[in-house]
Amino acid sequence: MEKIKNRSKKVALSAFGIILLVVLAIYAVSLLGLLLWGFFASFKEPIVEFTDRPYQLFPQKWTFNIGKIFNSFYVKPSTTGKNVYVEMLLVYSLLYSVGCGVASTIVPCLTAYVCARYAFRFSKVIYTVVIVTMIIPLVGTLPAELELATRLKLYDKIYGLWIMKAHFLGMYFLVFYNVYKAMPASYSEAAKVDGASNWEIMVKISLPLTKNTILTVFLINFIGFWNDYQTPLLYMPSYPTMAKGLFDLVQGTAVAGLQNVPSRLAGTVIVTVPILVLFLAFQKRLLGSLTVGGVKG
Amino acid sequence: MQTVTNKAKKGKIGLKKDLVFYCLMLIWPVAQFCVFYIGVNFNSFFLAFRNITMDIESRSYVYTWSLDGIKKAWETVMSPEIIQATKMSVLAWILGTLIGLPLGLLFSHYIAKKMPASGFFRVILFLPSIISAIVVATLYMYFLNMAVPMLIKDTTGNTVLSLLDSSRPVGYQFGALFFYNTWVGFGVNVLMYANAMSGISPEMIEAANLDGATGFKEFWHISLPQVFPTLSVFIVTGIAGLFTNQFSLFTFYGSDAPFQTFGYYLYKETLAHSTDLPEFPKLAAFGLMMAVVAIPLTFAVRWGLEKLGPKED
Repeated sequence: MEKIKNRSKKVALSAFGIILLVVLAIYAVSLLGLLLWGFFASFKEPIVEFTDRPYQLFPQKWTFNIGKIFNSFYVKPSTTGKNVYVEMLLVYSLLYSVGCGVASTIVPCLTAYVCARYAFRFSKVIYTVVIVTMIIPLVGTLPAELELATRLKLYDKIYGLWIMKAHFLGMYFLVFYNVYKAMPASYSEAAKVDGASNWEIMVKISLPLTKNTILTVFLINFIGFWNDYQTPLLYMPSYPTMAKGLFDLVQGTAVAGLQNVPSRLAGTVIVTVPILVLFLAFQKRLLGSLTVGGVKG
Repeated sequence: MQTVTNKAKKGKIGLKKDLVFYCLMLIWPVAQFCVFYIGVNFNSFFLAFRNITMDIESRSYVYTWSLDGIKKAWETVMSPEIIQATKMSVLAWILGTLIGLPLGLLFSHYIAKKMPASGFFRVILFLPSIISAIVVATLYMYFLNMAVPMLIKDTTGNTVLSLLDSSRPVGYQFGALFFYNTWVGFGVNVLMYANAMSGISPEMIEAANLDGATGFKEFWHISLPQVFPTLSVFIVTGIAGLFTNQFSLFTFYGSDAPFQTFGYYLYKETLAHSTDLPEFPKLAAFGLMMAVVAIPLTFAVRWGLEKLGPKED
C-alpha cells in the first residue's frame, strides 16, 4: 500500500523534467561507461592490445594484471628504504581507515551525547565552538599542524593520525547532537530510578539505541580514510596505504613489468572493490542517513 | 520533612555524580581541541614570525623571532606563479559556483520530485564520492590521454594531443580539470539539497501548480527558496575552498602541475619540505595571509547572502 502511495506521488514529466532526465542519463552513461572501461582495460594485454586499441571496451585476450600487482608491486618509502608489498599496503590501509574511522566517529558521538543530555552551561559553549569553527575559515594551517605533530612525536606514526583525527568538530557532532536531543528522556530516567550509573545509561541504553547512526557515520568516515592518499603521504610516509600505493603506481613505479596502463588500472580495481562491496551492502543506510544528517545538521 | 531533605540530598549527590561523569567524558575532546585546533592555529600564527635554524652541535632546531617568513611569503605571493595561482583559484571557485552549483540544484530538484529513475540517479551522483579520487582521476586521465586521441586518429586520421597534455596551453588543462571536478563533485551536496527540497509541503506545491508554476517555474519559485538556507551554508563554508581546493592538480600531475591553485601550492610545498622545518615559517606566513583574506571574505559573503537571498514567500 505504501509503495502504491509513493508511486502515485511521482510527478509526470514536463519539458523541463525531460531535459533534466536527458542530462542525468548522459551523466550516468559517462560515469558508468568510464568505470566499465577502466575495469575491462585492467584485463587487457598491455603491450599490443591496449596500445593499439585503448578505446575498445572488452579485452580480446584476458590478462590477469591484478595478479601481477599482488605478486610484484611494492612501495619503497624513502624514510625506511624497505619494500612494502600489497599485503602490507592493505594492512596499513585497514589500520589507518579503521583507527581514524573509529576515532572520528566515537569522539563526536560521545561529546554530542554529553552535551545533548546534560544541561550544563559548558554544553552550549561546545555547541557554539562547533558552529563557529565551521563558519570561520582558518585556512593554511597545514605546515603548523605538521610542525606540531613533529614536535609531539606523532609524525610518521599511524597512531599519531588516530590521535589527530579524534576530535569532535564538524558536521557529525551536529548529527549526533540532534539524535541525542530528540531521544526521549524516559528510558534513562527509568534506568536512573533503578540505580543505573551515568556510564551504564550511556553504554547500555543510549548508545545501543543510536547504533545505526553510529555505524553509518563510521562507514562514511571509513570510506573517506580508505580513499585518502594525501594524509598518509604527508603524515606517515613510512606506512604507505593502498591508495598511496596506487598514487605511486600511477605517477610512475620502478617495479619492472608494471609500467603500463592496464597494470595501473588493475591497481584502481584493487583499491575500489572493497569500497564498492561495502557501498552496495550498506547503500540504503549510507544514502538515507546522510539525508537525515542534512536535515538536522 | 525528612523525606524532602533526603530527596534534596539525593538530588545534590546525583548532580555531583552527573558533573563528575560530564567532566570525565569531556577531558579528551577538550584537550584534543586545545592542542590540535587552538594550539595549531596559534602555532600557525607564531610560526609565521619565527626563524628556525639547525644547531649543528646539539643537532636540534633553534627558534628565534623574525619577520623573514613574512617577507619570503610576501615575495612568493608577488611571484608570477602565485599570481597565476590566484587567478586559477578564483576562476575555479567562480565557475564552480556558477556552473556546478546550479547543476547540482537542478539534479536535486529532479530527485526531490521523485521523477523517473530518481533513485538510480541518486546512487549514481553519489558514486564518485565513495570511490577514491585517485581511482576516478586515473581512469579519466588515461581515457583522455590514450583512448580519446586514438579513437579520433582511427576514425578521422588526425593526430590530436590529450586535453591534459602539458604541452598544450594552460586553458585546455584547466578546462579538462574543471569538467572533471564538476563531474565528480555532486555527491553529498545533491543529497543535502534534495532532502531540503523534499521537505516542501504538498499543499504549497499543489497551490503553485494550480497557479501555473510547473517545471522550471516550480524549481525557481518553490524549490530554490526552500533550499536557500542549506545552500547559503554551503556557499559560506565553501569560501574556504577558494584557498584550500587543490583542483585535483596533485592527483593528476603530482608535484609538476602545469598551473597551481592556493590549496595545491600549500600542500605541494608542505609535502616537499615535510622534514625541513626551517622552511615552515614561510609556509605558515603564506597560510596566515590566506586566512587574513578568507575570514573577512566569508563574513562579507554571509552578510550578502542574508541581505540579497530570496525570501520563501
